[in-house]
Amino acid sequence: MRVLTVDDSRTILAMLHHTLTNAGFEVLQAENGQIGLEVLENEEVDIVITDINMPVMDGIEFIKNVRASGRHQSLPILILTTETSQDKRDQGRAAGGTGWIVKPFDPEKLISVIHKVVH
Amino acid sequence: MSDLDEFKATYFDECSELLLELEEQFIAIQDGDRSADRLNAVFRAIHSIKGGGGAFGFDGLVKFAHSFETLLDYVRDGRVELTEDVITLCIRSIDLVADFVGAARDGITLAPDYGATEKASFDALARGEAGGSAGSAAGDDLDEFDIDFTPVAVNLDASAPLSAVGSSQEDLTVWQVTFKPFSSLYERANDPLLLFRELALLGDSTVHAELTQLPSLGQFEPFGVYCTWMIELVSDKANEEAIREVFEFVDGDCEIGIEKREGVTLAPAVAPSDDDDLPSFADLAEQAKAERKFVPTGEPDDLESPAPAVAAVKPLTPARPAVASEAGEESSTSSGRPAGMQSIRVDLDKVDRVVNMVGELVITQSMLTQQMDDAIRDRYQELVRGVEVLAQTTRGLQDAVMAIRAQPVKSVFSRMPRLVRELASKTGKKIKLETIGENTEIDKTIIEQLSDPLTHMVRNSADHGVEGIEKRLAAGKPETGTIRLSAEQAGGNILIIVEDDGQGINRERVLEIARERGVVAPDQQLTDEQIDNLIFAPGFSTASEVSDISGRGVGMDVVLSNIKKIGGSVHVRSWTGKGTRMTLRLPLTLAVLDVMLVKVATSPYVIPLSSIVETIQNSRADFGYMPSGGRVLQVRGEYVQVVDLAQRFEMSSDQSEDNRFVVLCEAEGNSKIALIVDDIIGQQQVVIKSLEENFERIDGIAGGTILGDGNVALIVDVQSLKVDSAHQNAA
Repeated sequence: MRVLTVDDSRTILAMLHHTLTNAGFEVLQAENGQIGLEVLENEEVDIVITDINMPVMDGIEFIKNVRASGRHQSLPILILTTETSQDKRDQGRAAGGTGWIVKPFDPEKLISVIHKVVH
Repeated sequence: MSDLDEFKATYFDECSELLLELEEQFIAIQDGDRSADRLNAVFRAIHSIKGGGGAFGFDGLVKFAHSFETLLDYVRDGRVELTEDVITLCIRSIDLVADFVGAARDGITLAPDYGATEKASFDALARGEAGGSAGSAAGDDLDEFDIDFTPVAVNLDASAPLSAVGSSQEDLTVWQVTFKPFSSLYERANDPLLLFRELALLGDSTVHAELTQLPSLGQFEPFGVYCTWMIELVSDKANEEAIREVFEFVDGDCEIGIEKREGVTLAPAVAPSDDDDLPSFADLAEQAKAERKFVPTGEPDDLESPAPAVAAVKPLTPARPAVASEAGEESSTSSGRPAGMQSIRVDLDKVDRVVNMVGELVITQSMLTQQMDDAIRDRYQELVRGVEVLAQTTRGLQDAVMAIRAQPVKSVFSRMPRLVRELASKTGKKIKLETIGENTEIDKTIIEQLSDPLTHMVRNSADHGVEGIEKRLAAGKPETGTIRLSAEQAGGNILIIVEDDGQGINRERVLEIARERGVVAPDQQLTDEQIDNLIFAPGFSTASEVSDISGRGVGMDVVLSNIKKIGGSVHVRSWTGKGTRMTLRLPLTLAVLDVMLVKVATSPYVIPLSSIVETIQNSRADFGYMPSGGRVLQVRGEYVQVVDLAQRFEMSSDQSEDNRFVVLCEAEGNSKIALIVDDIIGQQQVVIKSLEENFERIDGIAGGTILGDGNVALIVDVQSLKVDSAHQNAA
C-alpha cells in the first residue's frame, strides 16, 4: 500500500515515514500541497495524509484540488491536525477530507485510523 | 543512533532553520511589511516547532510555543493588533524559543518559570487585555500534548484481531444500528463497507441492506445513494460511545440510529453464512425484485417494511466491496477486486513493437487480399476463405492493440480545472470550467502531446475569450464565464473542443495585425472564418501587449505545429460577442492510416482518405484560369485552387492532361484544394514512417510508407499544400 505524506515539517515527515514503513507501507513525501498535487499527477497512491498549515499551498486548498481533479474522488485523505479547535478540521472535511489524525500521533492509533479508511 | 535520536536530530536541525526564518520575517514585519504571507509564515514556523516539540514531550517548549502561536493566530486574523510593543515582545520571545530548543537538545532543565513573563503577556494579549500585562501563566489547556512519541513496530496483519472479541454469553448485548449514508459521505471517500468492518471489530455483526428505495434502472443515478443499512451488533463490550466512534469520520454525512435492544435472547437468529463475502449487488437486487420491493417510480416505499436482504459480516473478514460499489464507488481501487480486473505494467517500447508489427501485418494482409484475382478465387476457395478470416482477425488484432495504448483524455483534462482557477484569480475574472466526455480514449502518444496545446488553448480562452465581470454584466451575460472542454469520437477522429462564451475574436484587430506583420497581403480579401484562423498563422500573436498569461512570446501557431506533428488539425470559429470555439481534430491512432494510392509522374504517392472529398477525371473537370495565370477548379459553384503535384514536386509527367485525375481534398476550415495526379491506383492502409526521424522534413510531405511490393510511397500533406499555395497567392 502506498501513502503520500504532505507536511512542511521535516520532523513530522520523518516520523510518518518511520511509522508507516515499519507498518509495511510504501511512503511518498511532499513538502506542501502544490508538490503533493504534482506527485498525485504522476503516482498512484492508496491514501494521502496531509498537514493543514503549509506554505505555497495549504492542506485545505490541496484537498480541494485533489477532489476537483476528477481522478481522486475516492482517494482517502486524512488530515493531520494539532488544532484543538474544530474549525480547521471542519474546513478540511468540507474540502473533502475523509478523516483526521491529531498530532502528536500515536503510531498504533495512526495505523488503525488508516485502516479505518482504506480497504 | 536510535530512531528517536535520529528524529530529534532532524527536529533540532529544522528548529534552527525555523528560528532563523522567524527572525528574518520579524525584521521585515518590523520594517512595516504586515502582509498576510509574512504573518502566515511566522505562524507556521512556531506551529512546526510546537508540533515537533509535542511529539518528543518537550513540555516547557510546547507550552511556551503554544501561547506564542495563539497570539500569532490572533494577530493573523486581526483579533490582536500588531503594535510595536507586540512586535518587540515577539522578537524577544524568538530568543526564548531558541533557549527552550537549545535546552531540550542539550538535556538541560530550565527554571520552571523560564519565559513566564512573556508567556503571560501572550496569554493576556490573546484574552484581549491590551498592553499584555503579566497575568496568570497557568490554566492553559494543553492536554493534547501529553503523548510521548515512541516508535513502535506495528503488527499490520489484518486477520489478527486488535483486541479479543471472545465473549462470555451472559454479558452480550444486542445493538441495532441504522445507517443511512448521504452522498457527501462518498464525496469524502468514506466507504460504508469499511465502517462495517470497523463495527465488526466490536462484536458479531449482521448487516441488512434496505433496498426499498432503489429506483428502476432507467432512473438509477450512478452516484445516487439509495441504500440504508441495518446492522445488528452482538457484543459484550460495545457501548454507544464506541459505536459512535466508528462513525466519527462520517458524522454529518449520514443518519445514524443506535438502539440498545433489551430483552433479546441470543439464539442465533440469523445463522452467519459460511460465505465470507457480502452478497453481490446483483444478488441483492434480484432478491429484492423477487420480493417485489422494487419501486419502479423511485418513490420511497414504506420504510417500515422488513429488509429484504440479509448478509452476515463476520468480524475481521476482508469483505469484497460488492455492496459499496452500489453508490458509485470505484471498486477498482480496492484490494479485493475481481481477478479479471488486474493490470500489469508493461514497457511502452514493447507495446510499440507490437503496434508496429501489427501495422505491418495489416499491410501484408491487404496486399494478399489484393492479389486475389478471380482466377485464384475460383481455384483455391479454401485459400480465399483463409485470407478472409485472416483479414477479420487482423482487424480485430489491430483494434485490440490500439486499445492497449488508448487512454482516457481525462489525464489531460484533469489538469485544466486548476489552470482555469489560477487564471481566473490572476485576471480577476469569474470562470467556470465544464468538461464533457473525459472518458474518450485516444492513443497514449497523442495524449502525451496534447497537454501543451490544450493548456495553451484553455489559457487563450480564459485570457482573451472570457471578459471581465463588469464587461460581461454590461453585455447582459452572467458574471461567470464558461469554458467548456469536450472530447468525442467522430469516425476515425477524436474531436477535442474548447469553447467559451466570451467576446469572440476581434476580427478587425486580427486582420490589422496580420497585415502589419505581413501574414496577409494588404489587398487580400478573407472570409470571417479565414480571419479567425489567422490566429494560428506563424508569426501572429493576438495580444497587443504581451499578457502575463497567454503571452510569454509563444503564439497559437505553436498549438498548430504541435497538433500537426501528431497528425491532427485545429480550427477556430468565433461569434462576435457570443464566444469562440476551437476544434482539435486528432487521429485515433498514429500508426495506421487509410489512404488512396495515386501516381504522381511515375512515383507512388498516398493521400489520406480522411481528407479526400471526391475524385474527378480531368477531362470532365471544369477548370478556369485566374488573371494571374493560376488554375482553379469550379465545383458546384465554388472555385478551388488547383495544385499539380508533379509540378509541385518538380517531376515531369508524360501523361496527357485529359487522362490525369483531380483529387478534391478538404483542408481545415472547410477550405478545399484540388490536387492533380497522374493515376489513381486504389485504396489501402499504410503504416506511417516518419520522414523527419529517418531523413528530414519536406514541405508538402507528411511522411513515408512502405507498400506491399516493397516500394516507398510518400504521404501527401494536404494541409501544408493548402497553406503554402495560399502564401504564394498572397505574395
